[in-house]
Amino acid sequence: MATTTLREAEGDLVVESAMTVADGVVALTLADPNGQPLPPWTPGAHVDLIMGPDLVRQYSLCGSPSDSRTIRIGVLREPHSRGGSAYVHDRLSPGTTVRVRGPRNHFPLVASPRYLFVAGGIGITPLLPMMAEATAAGAQWSLLYGGRTRSSMAFTDELERYGDQVRLAPQDEVGLLDLDALLGTPQPDTRVYCCGPEPLLAAVEARCAGWPAGTLHLERFAAKPVSAPAGAEHAFEVELAQTGVTLTVPADRSIFDVVQEAGVSIIGSCLEGICGTCETFIVSGEVDHRDSVLSDEEHEANETMMICVSRCRGDRLVLDL
Amino acid sequence: MSRGRTKDVLTDCWYAVAPAADVGTDLMATRVAGRPVVLGRTASGALLALEDRCAHRPYPLSAGRVVGETVVCGLCGFGYGGDGACVSVPTQPHVPRGARVDAFPVVQRHGLVWVWVGTPGRSGLARVPDLPWLDDDAWADTGGVLDVAAGVLLLLESFADVTQVPVVAPDISPVVLQAAPPPLEVVVTETTVALSRQFPPGPLPAWQAAALDLPGEQRLPHDQRGLFLSPAAWVDHWDVTLPGGSQARMRFTQLVTPVDGTHTRLLWRVSRDFAVADEAVSERFSVMFADYYRRVAAALQTQQRVLDTDGPGREVNVSADAAALKVRAIVRQLLTEQPS
Repeated sequence: MATTTLREAEGDLVVESAMTVADGVVALTLADPNGQPLPPWTPGAHVDLIMGPDLVRQYSLCGSPSDSRTIRIGVLREPHSRGGSAYVHDRLSPGTTVRVRGPRNHFPLVASPRYLFVAGGIGITPLLPMMAEATAAGAQWSLLYGGRTRSSMAFTDELERYGDQVRLAPQDEVGLLDLDALLGTPQPDTRVYCCGPEPLLAAVEARCAGWPAGTLHLERFAAKPVSAPAGAEHAFEVELAQTGVTLTVPADRSIFDVVQEAGVSIIGSCLEGICGTCETFIVSGEVDHRDSVLSDEEHEANETMMICVSRCRGDRLVLDL
Repeated sequence: MSRGRTKDVLTDCWYAVAPAADVGTDLMATRVAGRPVVLGRTASGALLALEDRCAHRPYPLSAGRVVGETVVCGLCGFGYGGDGACVSVPTQPHVPRGARVDAFPVVQRHGLVWVWVGTPGRSGLARVPDLPWLDDDAWADTGGVLDVAAGVLLLLESFADVTQVPVVAPDISPVVLQAAPPPLEVVVTETTVALSRQFPPGPLPAWQAAALDLPGEQRLPHDQRGLFLSPAAWVDHWDVTLPGGSQARMRFTQLVTPVDGTHTRLLWRVSRDFAVADEAVSERFSVMFADYYRRVAAALQTQQRVLDTDGPGREVNVSADAAALKVRAIVRQLLTEQPS
């Protein structure tokens, strides 16, 4: 039995208000039923709404981090909803409760002297607290906010105070966003934050190809699984570069066990992906990260891995052991 | 590998710098995240927190005095308002244009003075942690302030380490901590960490049995929680379920302020909701826990000395360190969001 379990905070929150803020968009404020303060969060954070065993959706927090009593989310009714947004719109009226997990943040606002914010439709939600934060930090920023029609674009009233830092671009009035003008030339000391539908993200990614690495930050607001689906495990080979041996890791065993059995000196401790003791440098190969230690960014960087729980996506890994 | 202990100091955080009762018209010098700060109250009682260095010459304002609503330098007589602007100089009628010192956002909450020395505009978006037992008459507390020659992360990691108490202070450690530990649950959010353990019934330590007027051999269930509320606050809950079903609760509030990368001020409070009016208990707890925190501080200073002498080294973590590692990760993340 595990002596330590690590999990995310989860609890029921009560819907305090539900307001239609644009065509098909409802803004919910959620509070602790006993009035307890909610945990602090930073711009870019999101929560899971757990509406059923197979109905878990992520929504960005779009209120103020200074509010300890409530959180706010904005939810677009998706015409092809698989149940999530329809549940929010049809069932979550004031006074009802909903299970909430988090918050967590995969889209943090890294400090920068300048920002370009690009929003498409409901992708405006994580950017709202970012603009407040950037203003508070004294950064220069501008927002380009596209949507199908003016009446479909949520929270425009809250953007009025920013004056001409904000450009609204309803597609039926001005056409597609002019991303070439905005992003065509890389700008110094500037980070780009973009959230919106996949075609917008792809277009922004393409325009930012010539920008310095790490300056573009994207958040996909389409539902995404929090962890990789547990498919059938497969066996793979692990080459230990320093030791000069290649081992086979069977489907039902960990890299850690196989390496240790081969007599290579490694240390591990929890063997659950929690403690970080067995962190190992990756020489090559694509890792299926399953630990709770490294951040998403670190997973993506693919420099190190926890060999107690993480595996290989392909059929061969080379490790610095 | 990037998950080591950062030495960078988080400036953008509300830190509890002093008990409110200690801050008055007698100016107080302190350091917060590398910045010299003078703390005080004006004649009307308004809190002020200014850069502790006169704009005229390198002389601390804390060596001056409060005159009305201003702080006057003890060397040259320049006077400053609570917003840091120079409002008077003794030798000429007009004030040098733009002469000022930095003024830091400052609030009083839970009987403590909290200061923000980081990016000024961000103070309004951050929160002072909620510590309601410090304001509640149903609780009695005792406390103190300790300067510890160790980095703030060493302190937070020590609070997150559930194994240290019986080692550092075996004489007062709860008896249940010395048996096989029950499972530890660590619950995280983006910016907080909570750990908890439920102990099966066990005997009380002598000091707690005496305060509760219970026989020490009586076996009672214990609940432990540890909460990382912000990089400035770690709170431990230690609750014993009494024979009638009610609880005797304790809160160990540990508020940390980084002075610089390797020095930390620890402001501690031990609160209880039993024997609240019993002054003998207050006195005993005051002495006992002051001694406890001195021992904690000594162990921390030893760790810092090893780091200073021999470098960070490679550390083996155990699964129970999940809470400490998460604290490190949160602080590291907050540092990336802080303008340099």
